[in-house]
Amino acid sequence: MEKSEIETRVKKVISGVLKVKAGEIKPSSNFVFDLGADSKQSVELVAALEEEFEIEMDQDEALAIQNVGDAVEYIAKVVGK
Amino acid sequence: MDEAGKQGIHTVFHPRSVAVVGATRTQGTVPYDIFQNILASGYQGVVYPVSPGAVSICGVRAYKYVLDIPDPVDLAVLVFPSTVCQLALEQCGQKGVKACIVISAGFREVGAAGIEREKVLKGIAAKYGIRIIGPNCLGAINTDPRVRLNASFARKMPDEGSIAFLSQSGALCTAVLDYARGKHIGFSKFVSFGNKADISEVDLVHYLAQDEATKVILLYLEEITDGPGLLRAAQTVTRETGKPILAVKSGRTRAGAAAAASHTGSLAGADEVCDAIFRQAGIERCLTIEELFNKAIALAYQPRPTRPKVAIITNAGGPGVMTADACGDHRLELASFTEETTKVFKRSLPNTANIKNPVDVIGDARSDRYQAALAASLADPGVAGAMVILTPQSMTDIDGIAQTIVKTAAASPGKPVYASFMGETDVASGIDILQRAHVPHYILPENMAAAFAASYRFEQLLKTARAPLPPYADVNTAAARKVLDAAAGRKHLPDVEALQILAAYGLPVLPSGVAQSAEEAARVAGRVGYPVALKVYSSDIVHKFDVGGVILNVGDAAGARAGFEKITAAARKAVPEAQLRGVHVQKMAPAGQEVILGLKRDPAFGPVLMFGLGGTFVEIFHDVSFRAVPLDSHALSTMIREIRCFSLLDGARGHPACDLAKLEECLRRLAQLALDCPQIAELDMNPVIVGREGAGAVVADARILL
Repeated sequence: MEKSEIETRVKKVISGVLKVKAGEIKPSSNFVFDLGADSKQSVELVAALEEEFEIEMDQDEALAIQNVGDAVEYIAKVVGK
Repeated sequence: MDEAGKQGIHTVFHPRSVAVVGATRTQGTVPYDIFQNILASGYQGVVYPVSPGAVSICGVRAYKYVLDIPDPVDLAVLVFPSTVCQLALEQCGQKGVKACIVISAGFREVGAAGIEREKVLKGIAAKYGIRIIGPNCLGAINTDPRVRLNASFARKMPDEGSIAFLSQSGALCTAVLDYARGKHIGFSKFVSFGNKADISEVDLVHYLAQDEATKVILLYLEEITDGPGLLRAAQTVTRETGKPILAVKSGRTRAGAAAAASHTGSLAGADEVCDAIFRQAGIERCLTIEELFNKAIALAYQPRPTRPKVAIITNAGGPGVMTADACGDHRLELASFTEETTKVFKRSLPNTANIKNPVDVIGDARSDRYQAALAASLADPGVAGAMVILTPQSMTDIDGIAQTIVKTAAASPGKPVYASFMGETDVASGIDILQRAHVPHYILPENMAAAFAASYRFEQLLKTARAPLPPYADVNTAAARKVLDAAAGRKHLPDVEALQILAAYGLPVLPSGVAQSAEEAARVAGRVGYPVALKVYSSDIVHKFDVGGVILNVGDAAGARAGFEKITAAARKAVPEAQLRGVHVQKMAPAGQEVILGLKRDPAFGPVLMFGLGGTFVEIFHDVSFRAVPLDSHALSTMIREIRCFSLLDGARGHPACDLAKLEECLRRLAQLALDCPQIAELDMNPVIVGREGAGAVVADARILL
């Protein structure tokens, strides 16, 4: 899967869970500081991304991801396995 | 601290605007409650919620970033998770925020990753000149009606008052606020300083010294990171402003002391040292929060007694006697009444009343008898303060008597009045009247006496003269350092080298020399003069007695030769791997009283001196005193006089008085050595033999650990 496609789909998921306009989501956006994710939403986000990409993410690793770009990289790695 | 630094702390308590950075709309969370508390406390400035995910919080327009706020922001309260606090703080710096309260946990207290995060925060704060309270704290409160800021997640804003409370524990703060509210105790400032990454208790004590609203400063500490700073701050603040400082220091443990290699090290447990140094600093140390507030209200609400003379007024004999006993326990005295006072008692009280101290107004007393007895007592020139006791008997007018005490106390503004309404349910309304009117109330007379004594002690502290002690000019620091440099890499300096260092600092050592053979031992002994002491000389043997390495009172050359062989053989047998450097032949000390003088480096307070009864008894009786360096005249004088066995040194039971002036000189010289030679980790002079007044003292044995 192309990274650009992963990025588009990640932004769509984030937009849905955090109720943020997709246009405001940048690769450098920090989930907490820029997008306002609280701890409950962070867990929901991991679940939504797992469902979107039909993957399983390590919970601790996934919650340690700080920004959108890193999430795209992480998913690309998991999908590519 | 520079002016900008002080201004930063001032901003924590007096911001014109506050941003709660990381606020949320989710009720019951810290980020929500902090914002809500600022709104509910009636804050006189402007408050902004900063929340990337919310349009408004509690009806107040929210900003995505602190940089989006159109007006200046003085104080930011950070409630983001620790992992993003550095992003928020960086923006606060760009915004020109002057001070920041970092509520968030997840820093130094959680280990390596947290330590790194805290370091990053400190770096950003330093870059922008932002002062920080926290992280990992409850927040800060200022009850000043011109500010009214509750930037904390405490449930309620406390009442306005004159007591400032500073705490390292955030959770304890909430309990203290609840406890204080129940007793109508108000606060001037209330701060939980958490990990003290920047602003510490020392900074806050200095700040509160200048705070008009604060009359008493309370501290709850778990670790002391800057002991010398706290000591200096406390000494300066109490003496220059007359504001008492009271502290609970938890974590009272002896762990670590047991493993120490010197007498001083093993006796100077962290808690004993802390206790002594708090006293030296003028900090009233309390063991419990209850004791802290018992004493704080006495100091905050009432004038301090100028003498230890108490009048006790009671409606019950037993509690009066208990209070008298408690006064005795705290070295307070029952005042003797003048004839005039006695006449008033006779006129106003029934024949059955006891008109001597404690004054028993009898069980059926109503407010008129209490009023007459209390007013007459307070008017008596021999009385420095009064303790009023009430037991709830069927005819006792509890509320009326409480009101009478309040009025009578107010009419005698120069003398303190405390009360003890003994009981729980029946006396509750009376206690409420007393507490609201700031008459200190205690359920138990023992606590009342302890509080009175603490207030009197503080009054005495303020009157105590203290003079700095200039260093001696006749010390040879270079000679001492030369011995220490030559010993670099070793852990232990045996007596031969230790005594050279002490001699360089003008401490009185005995003539001695080192012998490499039995014949040389006899020669050295002849030179220094008999009788002599022979001691094994080896860096590898710390406790010479334990290996048979000491022979005392050797009276002639034959004894010196035989002693050399005996000591050498015993040491070789006991510690075969030890490198023997000879036998130390030292003139025997004259008879006198044995004392110990010691030095250790305390992790919190730096160099600490120890003094006590010496010789082999030191560790059995633990009769020792401690002082932090530098010493002033008062610290020095009291250090010798506060040991329990001081009377032995002062001429008790036919013993001649010892040369205390020489002992004071020895302690001063040891303090100077401690400051000049930080390589010395621990030092024992044990025993020091002190002669009678004017006869001086000599150091008979010494050891130094590096």
